[in-house]
Amino acid sequence: MCDTCGCQLHEHHHHDTKVVEVNRSLLEANQKQAESNRHHIEHMGAVAINLISSPGSGKTTLLERTIDELKASCSIGVIEGDIETERDADRIRAKGVPAVQLTTGGACHLDAPMVHGGLHVLEHFAKGRPLDLIFIENVGNLVCPATFDLGEHRRVVLLSTPEGSDKPAKYPATFKSADLMLITKVDLLPHFDFSVEEAAGQARALKPELEIITLSATTGDGFAGWLAYLRGLLAQRTAHEH
Amino acid sequence: MHELSLAQSLIEQILALAAEHRARRVNRVVVTLGPFSGVVRDSFEFGFNILKQEQEPVREAVLELETPDPEYVCRDCDKVAVIPFPRQSERLELARCGLAAKKCPWCGSNRLSPRGGTELILNQLEME
Repeated sequence: MCDTCGCQLHEHHHHDTKVVEVNRSLLEANQKQAESNRHHIEHMGAVAINLISSPGSGKTTLLERTIDELKASCSIGVIEGDIETERDADRIRAKGVPAVQLTTGGACHLDAPMVHGGLHVLEHFAKGRPLDLIFIENVGNLVCPATFDLGEHRRVVLLSTPEGSDKPAKYPATFKSADLMLITKVDLLPHFDFSVEEAAGQARALKPELEIITLSATTGDGFAGWLAYLRGLLAQRTAHEH
Repeated sequence: MHELSLAQSLIEQILALAAEHRARRVNRVVVTLGPFSGVVRDSFEFGFNILKQEQEPVREAVLELETPDPEYVCRDCDKVAVIPFPRQSERLELARCGLAAKKCPWCGSNRLSPRGGTELILNQLEME
């Protein structure tokens, strides 16, 4: 007899057990927020770029020079993700651009809800000035950020020459998820055993259509290509609006 | 490292579905982890089993993970190959024999590009 209800079945049977087919992504909540962030950013009239790389590959230095080069022609805002400190946001603010520091307190990546909060604070810092270009500098990590859409329009992965040209093969998820790979610190090429050809070959094996630009934010070498890429995005945005 | 936050969002999703279906408890949870989802199976399972203790409706829930084999497209011969990930013990053995690198079974090239496999899906819940 079933112990639960006292019915006369000899074997135990489940009470109102039901199986529900769900078939939903575990990232659903993040994805919804990311879509809403994208909508929010487009409503602001801006384009957003998610910068992903390992720590120390030059994300903030890239931004500093990009701001210097573009500040006169477009208005930029930055959301900085780090585990601790305001150091990066302070560096960006020193360039006269609004910057929000998101400190994750240990989390290895930014997610869409964090960026949502960041967007509101960024608008507050921008004091009503419309923004054209929003950079979201992710936590330095070549693994976890790949999984989380933040609501960006383009995902850019940086690979600096001291890291070695084997990184795309070692961290495939991140490089495959990117729209553009920037090979940074090319001024250091003579000092490191880094092959641009090998890095590009490995990255394109993962994603044949991946765009690749090599540059140095210190010397400005190759920087024109990056600025042209950004201007192209801004032009597309304008075309889209009309 | 991000497995814990994914396990947390899974639990939130399950609790919402349990409430929607007026279920008292959840017995079984079936999840698909794509081979290129960037999620480490053991860490995800560990995270889920820790976090479920905090929520009565899922405390007894058993997590069943489905992990489809990875598929690759060969950049040299264009053929598709399904190459299962070796088990941890086998990986060490392969490494010892210098065979750890994946190769296209059709032409021997090592220029393999992962195809699909980034899914992280809550498939099925059994609840009462």
